[in-house]
Amino acid sequence: MQNDIVMVIVVGTALAFDFTNGFHDTANVVATSISTRAMAPRLAIAYAAALNFAGAFISLAVAATVASDVVSSGAITPTVVFAGLIGAICWNLITWYFGLPSSSSHALIGGVVGAAFAAAGPDAILGDGLLGKVLIPAVVAPIVAFVVGGLAIVICYRVVGRLKPGQVGRGYRLGQIASGGLLALAHGTNDAQKTMGVITLALVTNGSLAAGSDPPTWVIVSAASAIALGTYSGGWRIIRTMGSRIIKMDPAQGFSASGAGAAVILASSHYGFPLSTTQVISGGVMGAGAGKRLSAVRWGVAGNIVTAWLMTLPAAAGIGALTYGVTRIFGTGSVGPIVVTAAALALVAAAFTRRVRAGTPVPAP
Amino acid sequence: MLATIVDGGALLKTIIASFIAGVGVTLIFSIAILGASRFADMNRDGRPAAAVAFGVLGLVALLAAGAAVVVGIIVMTRK
Repeated sequence: MQNDIVMVIVVGTALAFDFTNGFHDTANVVATSISTRAMAPRLAIAYAAALNFAGAFISLAVAATVASDVVSSGAITPTVVFAGLIGAICWNLITWYFGLPSSSSHALIGGVVGAAFAAAGPDAILGDGLLGKVLIPAVVAPIVAFVVGGLAIVICYRVVGRLKPGQVGRGYRLGQIASGGLLALAHGTNDAQKTMGVITLALVTNGSLAAGSDPPTWVIVSAASAIALGTYSGGWRIIRTMGSRIIKMDPAQGFSASGAGAAVILASSHYGFPLSTTQVISGGVMGAGAGKRLSAVRWGVAGNIVTAWLMTLPAAAGIGALTYGVTRIFGTGSVGPIVVTAAALALVAAAFTRRVRAGTPVPAP
Repeated sequence: MLATIVDGGALLKTIIASFIAGVGVTLIFSIAILGASRFADMNRDGRPAAAVAFGVLGLVALLAAGAAVVVGIIVMTRK
C-alpha cells in the first residue's frame, strides 16, 4: 500500500514535470514562427501542442536510454526518482522565472543523478552512459545545429538574394509552417520520451514492470498528453528571449533555424541521444544569425543562456540530492514524498502569484 | 578511453544526417521559392516559356522538399 501511494506520487510528479517541460519549452518550438509572423501566437502554440502530442508516439529510443543508461536501476527506488523529478521541476521553474531557456532534459537527468548519488553513492551513477549518451551529445548537438543553421542561411541568401524581399518573405513564412511543425514533432519525440523513461524506471524499481520493458501504452499516452497541455499553456517569458533577444530574425533565418533544430533533434532521437532541445534550437537560432553577420547575434544574451546551460546539470543534481535528503527525514514510507509534494506545490503557487503580480511581459493576443 | 564510451558511429551518423537534412531541405526549398518568384516575374513580363520552366523547377523542388521531410519522418519511426 505504502509503495502504491509513493508510485502514484511519482507518476503524478513525472507528469507534472512533463507539463513544465512543455510549458518551459514552448518557446523553443514556436518562437521563430511567432517572431517572423509566420503564424499568429495562439495558433502557433495550438499547432505545436498537437504535433508535440503526435511526436511522442514516434520512437522509444530516448526513453530506453533514460531508463537504463544513466543510473543503475538496481540502486534506484521510487523515492529517488521522485526526488530527481522535484529537482528538475524546481530548476525549470527557477529558469522560467528569470526567462532563461535552459534545458529541461538536463534538469531531469541532473535531478535523477543527484538523488541517486545521495541515495546510493557514486556506484549508482553509470558514468559511461552519462558521458557517452548525455554529456558529449549535449556539447556536440548545439554546435552541429549552429553550423547547420549558419550554412542553411548562407544558402538561402545565395539562392534568393536577388529576388523581391516580399515574395521571399512570404515563401519562407509558408516554409516555416512546415519546419516549425517538424520542430514541434521532433520536440515531442525527444522530450516526452524522457518522462516515459523516468516513469518506466520507477515502475521497474517498484517491481510493477520487468527490467528492459518498453513503456506501457498508458505511460506513452499520459506523457504525450502532459507535454502537449504544457506546450499549449505556453511560457511567454522564454518565447521573448528565444524569438527576439538572441537575434532579430527575418523569415529566412526563422526557416533555417527551425529546420536545423528539427534535423538535429530527429536524427538524435533516432539514435537514442536524449539531448537538450533548448540547446539545439538556441544553437540553430545563433547559427542563423551569425550566418548573416556575426554582429547580428546578441552575444551577451547568448552568454547568459550558455551560463544557464552549464549550471543546469549540477544545480538540478544539487536540488535532487537535497530533496532526497529531506524526504528521507520522514522515513522510507509515503510521508516524505507527500510532505515534499505539498511544499513544492506551495512554492510553485508562490512563484506563479509573484510572476502574475509582476505582469506577463508578452501578452497573449 | 573516450572512444569506448561514446558510440562514435551513431554520433557521426547523427551529425551527417543532420547536415544532409538541415542544409539539403533548406537548399531545395529555397530553389522552390526561386522558381515560384521567377515564374511570377516571367509571367508578368510576357515570357511564357521561361515562366513554365521556372514554374516546373519550383514545383519539382517543392515536391522534393516535401518528400524529403516525409522520408525523414519514416526513417525516424523505424527504430
